[in-house]
Amino acid sequence: MQYLILLCLLIFNLNASDLTLDISKQVDSLPSLVIENGSDINNKLNKKFQRSLISDMNVLSIFNVNRKSLNVDFDDNEVSRENKKINYVLRFKIEPLDASSYRTEIKFFEHNKIILQKNYTINREKLYVFVAHAIAYDINEAMGEESIDWIKKKVVISRLSARNQSEIIITDYTLTYQHIIIKGGLNVFPQWANERQSALYYTSLSDFKPTLYRLDTKTGKKKKIISSDGMMVCSDVREDGKKLLLTMAPNGQPDIYLYDVRSGKYQRLTHYSGIDVSAQFMDNNNIVFISNRMGYPNVFSKRIGSKSVEQMVYYGKSNVACSAHKEYIVYKSRETSNAFSSNTFNLHLISTKTDFIRRLTATGVNEFPRFSKDGSAILFIKNYKNQSSIGVVRLAHNKNYLFPLKMGKIQSLDW
Amino acid sequence: MKKILLSSAIVAALILTGCSSKDPSIDTTTDTSSEQNTNTGPNTETVTGTDVMVDENTVSGSDSNEMSMSGLESQMQSIYFAFDNFSLSNDMTDKVSDNAQLASTKASSYMLKIEGNCDEWGSDEYNYALGLKRANSAKAVLIEKGVSSERISMISYGESNPTCNDKTKECWAENRRVDFKLLP
Repeated sequence: MQYLILLCLLIFNLNASDLTLDISKQVDSLPSLVIENGSDINNKLNKKFQRSLISDMNVLSIFNVNRKSLNVDFDDNEVSRENKKINYVLRFKIEPLDASSYRTEIKFFEHNKIILQKNYTINREKLYVFVAHAIAYDINEAMGEESIDWIKKKVVISRLSARNQSEIIITDYTLTYQHIIIKGGLNVFPQWANERQSALYYTSLSDFKPTLYRLDTKTGKKKKIISSDGMMVCSDVREDGKKLLLTMAPNGQPDIYLYDVRSGKYQRLTHYSGIDVSAQFMDNNNIVFISNRMGYPNVFSKRIGSKSVEQMVYYGKSNVACSAHKEYIVYKSRETSNAFSSNTFNLHLISTKTDFIRRLTATGVNEFPRFSKDGSAILFIKNYKNQSSIGVVRLAHNKNYLFPLKMGKIQSLDW
Repeated sequence: MKKILLSSAIVAALILTGCSSKDPSIDTTTDTSSEQNTNTGPNTETVTGTDVMVDENTVSGSDSNEMSMSGLESQMQSIYFAFDNFSLSNDMTDKVSDNAQLASTKASSYMLKIEGNCDEWGSDEYNYALGLKRANSAKAVLIEKGVSSERISMISYGESNPTCNDKTKECWAENRRVDFKLLP
């Protein structure tokens, strides 16, 4: 009997750490949270900021967020009488420092006791959403949850604005902040060049041959890296920024190459006569990629320098995009194959250590999945009924959040 | 263009002088109790962004030579493909053969750019590769018909170059195509 109980406990613990299993949490069982506005002036910025805070608190997935708004005195060290029964209260105050700078102060109460107090400054109003994200990060830390560094990261997207026209935009994961960093021409597949996000790679399709450029986002200085007939995409940058995975097709055959940033030399990694694309680092020595070497697109892996490849996914007959983090792979799979009506593409999560498959989306065209660096979240593009959105999957919380783009279509993203 | 780049660089330099080095730079220290509230006051974190922008719009003029090239280019026929497919039907092979004839005679002084395109079902690299394989199928016929491979370049636009934006099967079929362009 003791062994049976021990076995049950072991299975429960294994399941609890397996992200391919669905986890259901009742909203009612989550602690309540309300946001109090302690600003002296109630203007548009306050309202926009409060909306972003509510959105971020929801994305944390650890609170039942109350949407009611209450204006209070920020300096009061107790929560307002109306909110005494609420578990957590987040009070903020925004005040201008000069013509363009602002300071945001917060007090975070747990049962009427301050457990976090911090100030944030920005030198331009439009950065307010990053303050909301930084606050969400700090509150998540204060609550003792697993770190969510990804929430503060900038996201780079390419937006198709017209036929053969696109813009590269630096944004946040909710698409609230948007700064067009490259406009004009057709520029696609942007990738951050380093952890600091101080530079990015992108493909220009406006040149004679598809060409990869590196752009310094601080200075605007652009450098040509390499070009190839037919196709040129930087599909991943190694964590240290020193190696790139490229798709090139110098002879009309798309294959995967490893590019050394310092020397400018490259090494061909795949030699298949069909399609090999979308390579991503699993670690410094192994990659995953999409290939049609089985007669249909699917996910494969290989060790750099080795000739053999390994099939990674055994479900779905058209798996055309993927992202990997440790033993987990998220991939895009076509659910319908119809030339005459709308098609559905969903994202699925597998673990290379188990046989479980978890479907992460249900409708529309879901594509370009990208794991966060810590593997706890997946960012993706959703196109559904003429609306293009960024989606965030919180794997451990079994929650998806969508943030729509007002104009155009998102072609690709990186974070 | 140079003016824009120069002014962007100046704006960036001005901003950089007023910003911290990281973007956004985050202070990892947090206050954890009201005790700190009475002693040292809360930490302050500075969140920064970027204002640089590169404009890649170009203005091109035209002359009689370009007019002639444009007239010849309009005689080049686009070819179309089945769903999720890059093989050429007999009809489409005939059209590429006609294009090869034009490329070898009246348009013999121009380079050829073969542009592969796809319908809207996916913006992934795989879709771009499918467009490229379509362009490569056409290139093989051109070479077989005597056009030098040195004169041919290829590019895939994936789903980013549609000629039709309706949500109909006819429209999707129209976008699964290869176009032939002339370059000086």
